[in-house]
Amino acid sequence: MRRVNVEGGKEGAHGGTLGSPVSSRAGRLNSPRPVQVEPDLDGTPRRVNRRPVALVREEWRVVDRWWTEEPVQRRYFDVVLEGGERAVVYRDEKTSGWFSQRGV
Amino acid sequence: MVACVLIPGFELRAALRARPSLALRPAALAPAEPLIGSVTAAADAQGVKPGMRMGEALATCPELVLVEQDPSAAEQAWEEILRRLEDAGFEVDSGDLGCVYFETRGVERLYGGAEAALERALAAVGSAWDPRAGAAGRRFAALAAANVARPGQVLIVADERTREFLAPLPLALLPLAGERRRELEELGVRNVGELAGLPGGAVSERLGPDGRRAWSLARGRDRGRVRGRRAPAELIETLEFPEAIGNELTLRRALAVLVERLLGRAELGERFLRKVALSATLVGGGSWRRQLTLREPFAEADRLRVALGPKLAEIPGPLLKLKLEALELTESTGQQLMLVRPEGDELQGMLRDGLRQVKASTGEGGVCTVVEVAPWSRIPEQRALLVARDE
Repeated sequence: MRRVNVEGGKEGAHGGTLGSPVSSRAGRLNSPRPVQVEPDLDGTPRRVNRRPVALVREEWRVVDRWWTEEPVQRRYFDVVLEGGERAVVYRDEKTSGWFSQRGV
Repeated sequence: MVACVLIPGFELRAALRARPSLALRPAALAPAEPLIGSVTAAADAQGVKPGMRMGEALATCPELVLVEQDPSAAEQAWEEILRRLEDAGFEVDSGDLGCVYFETRGVERLYGGAEAALERALAAVGSAWDPRAGAAGRRFAALAAANVARPGQVLIVADERTREFLAPLPLALLPLAGERRRELEELGVRNVGELAGLPGGAVSERLGPDGRRAWSLARGRDRGRVRGRRAPAELIETLEFPEAIGNELTLRRALAVLVERLLGRAELGERFLRKVALSATLVGGGSWRRQLTLREPFAEADRLRVALGPKLAEIPGPLLKLKLEALELTESTGQQLMLVRPEGDELQGMLRDGLRQVKASTGEGGVCTVVEVAPWSRIPEQRALLVARDE
């Protein structure tokens, strides 16, 4: 099996999953990117990067790697913004930060 | 029919034109890698073979002379040969140096048959090069026939005899990496016929796409077409230096001057560059040359400098002359669409050129491969990696 070192060990802060050694030869595909979200009282996004959310299509949680020192606890939202653009954002339950992500 | 004219050891022969006295002595093309290149007949008679390690070759034949590579002279000599063939009416499709293909269909009536046409082609090349010619229904079979023919001989293989003709030939004729060939030999497959007799699926599984392609060729299934080359552009700009230069800054400035001059040539008109070559005459003899096919034709100085800049770092030593050639131009400024979609080797070649172009303009890490590492993971960024491509 091909073994590849991965850059971006700091992503563990928001991704909560990356403890691999660092190398400049490889990067992760679909890494999360910080995004500005204004949530409602129930925690669902109302605005994403100041653009109003027209519809929350789906919501789900990912809880993984709880047996490691970098557990993942995320609350994902698949939203449609006004204007018709689709986005997938999540709230990192450990750091309370918001991120957008492709490839979900 | 497809015809192939072959000049074995062309680069060595071209380099020896400047030192003809060595042609009769044991000599070999100096290696770019630890393995030596082509060898003269005298060296071959003393047991020195192409691809031998240099130490082994010198131990076998202590008087062996190593001839400096001269790619620029080889390219020039090859161009002269191609032009002589074109003057004789052949629409040439140049493979590697020393190997050219053409269709005989258009010239058979002109010369009174395929054999007469091939003899005319050998005469056009010139007997000094010891060329040999082969013709068959397919490109690979024509190459195999030319390999088997003796110097000055023409060998024509009839369509129905292609498989029978290919069967006893060695695996070395097939475009297979040495490692794959050794693997086949270890499995007891020693010639083309034995490979053709294996089931295709098993060959693919064991040897991958290259093996599958070699298997198809061995069975006489060759989809390679022969396409006449475009007329060369003949736009050349040269800078000669009063003393040897080697520092990168000076070379970059020299390149910028050459680019400006080339793009300023009136003959270029409104046409774009499609293929260029950069070559250098090195101090102490020898030369260096790189060809570059531009992913998208253009005629902008900045883009050309960016595309050629990284090549300067590959020049092996100080130089006395730097030359920039426009090898192919577009017909006009418009984009020409393709009537027939490229496939196989041609498509792979275009893809490789495109990737090289992207790497040249974006630097290392500009071209990546997606490697799936945990496609089942619930965490999206853990499923795949982007790994920089070396090739």
